[in-house]
Amino acid sequence: MPPLNLPPVKEVAKIPGDWVEERSGLVSVSKYFLFRNVPRDISWLQTLGSALITVFIVQVTTGILLAMYYKPSTEEAFDSIRYITDEATLGWLVRGMHKWGSSVMVILLFLHMGRTFLFGAYKYPRELTWISGALIFILVMAMSFTGYLLVFDQRAYWATVVGVNINGTAPILGPFLSEFLKVGPEFTTETLTRFYALHMLVLPAAITGLIVLHNWLVVRLGVTSPPWSKHRATKGDV
Amino acid sequence: MPRYTARERRERYLREYDFQKRTGKQFFPYAIYHDAIMSVIVVGVIIAMAVFWRMDFGAVPTDASAAREGGLLGPAYESRADPAIEGYDPKPEWYFFFLFELLKIFKTPELLIVGSVIIPTLMMMALIALPFIDRRPERRVSRRPVAMAVGVAVPIVLLALTWRGDQGAGIAGEASNRPGATAFAQTLGCGTCHKLADAGTAGNVGPVLDDALPDYAEAVQVITNGRGAMPAFEDIGEDQINCIAGYVATWSGGEGETPGPNAASAEQAYPAACEAAGGEYAGEAGASAAGVPSRGGSAQAAG
Repeated sequence: MPPLNLPPVKEVAKIPGDWVEERSGLVSVSKYFLFRNVPRDISWLQTLGSALITVFIVQVTTGILLAMYYKPSTEEAFDSIRYITDEATLGWLVRGMHKWGSSVMVILLFLHMGRTFLFGAYKYPRELTWISGALIFILVMAMSFTGYLLVFDQRAYWATVVGVNINGTAPILGPFLSEFLKVGPEFTTETLTRFYALHMLVLPAAITGLIVLHNWLVVRLGVTSPPWSKHRATKGDV
Repeated sequence: MPRYTARERRERYLREYDFQKRTGKQFFPYAIYHDAIMSVIVVGVIIAMAVFWRMDFGAVPTDASAAREGGLLGPAYESRADPAIEGYDPKPEWYFFFLFELLKIFKTPELLIVGSVIIPTLMMMALIALPFIDRRPERRVSRRPVAMAVGVAVPIVLLALTWRGDQGAGIAGEASNRPGATAFAQTLGCGTCHKLADAGTAGNVGPVLDDALPDYAEAVQVITNGRGAMPAFEDIGEDQINCIAGYVATWSGGEGETPGPNAASAEQAYPAACEAAGGEYAGEAGASAAGVPSRGGSAQAAG
């Protein structure tokens, strides 16, 4: 019997990675992402964006769990919210995290935007990064608007009626927008299912796409260091 | 003034950033550990908020449509949504308060669109177009006085509007005992948005009825079909609508025992419609019989 000519263990461990790398290049993409350089004075102020991704993941996870118990009809919505809050195991925690996660997300969005503004990080070459972020902000506000109705208690219902009516006051497009949101002139179960579909399918998909674009631009263009950074190649104005 | 052309400035920036990046640190682990710590803190805050919210919950109500009360962080849920309206409360989530406040500032029908559409649209357009509005390449804070002034003023205005938007001024005094007054002020919650001295309400979202002075026909029309941000109240019933419209037409601008200038327009319906509607619509007798209506006790579901 000829001697077995096995490669050393260290080489064997690389085989799955090499297999994926050869077929997708994903290993080098990950390596590029993790081992790229960033300016040396990057610190806490630049953590708000990644914290937002974390909150988004919290919202998606708790949202999926809520969707397993929520019933989007005018007859059952309020009862399913009562069940989630009062009876389901840790339902109050999942709903509470989703509810307060949305507030935390809006606050972080404002802080993240403020940091970007202070650093002038929306200027060349990062204009598109800012625009994609601004669109995410607007869509997150739309998420909040569509999610608010789903609890289907008095405040949710009447605040949404008023909100839809406000949309309806816009010239030309307003009445169409208001009819589109309500699915006709009245609030019905179809209104609720429409809000639900926007809240858990359309808007999250759009936000996910914009987050991918936003972060691709961030990695490609690099994270800005503070404008007061002393670590410069040149003196004087730039 | 510019010592460099725009193109030169862009190239200088790219060279500068290239230097900062080349001589910088590796993202993993020297930057990502800040991100990881921040994310843990943020998730911790979210869980803590959910727990504090839960700790103040009242008992689970036995009535399947009742609210479950809460503490500082608000109720677990309010009472079941009811288009037939009891205790109308259109308060939005706190981060829409600034838009809600704009509605209060531009409350007349002609100006409504300024607060409801024009200003929000301009704000969104300015937000998206910021990189094209501020095209100067200068990044240093001390050399961007205009941007910094705007950057300080906008959050202050937003915070002030948010704070003011939170200040409800619904009920300021006692409703009179006239037919329709209690229903206007409490049962339907008209006073959440409308100021009407006779009903003792001081809502500041919609028009001040003592100034707007609608006549009977207009009041019926607006209550039935809604107008602008105001919802349609057609589900409350015809007698109820006629009663409230009659009350509003008669007592808007009224002082003491003297009815307002449009009282004559409502003579046919008011107060007969309130008698027909009964309950808290009927005035003194009905109101005391019904007691103070509880908020949202109705079991009727929407749809």
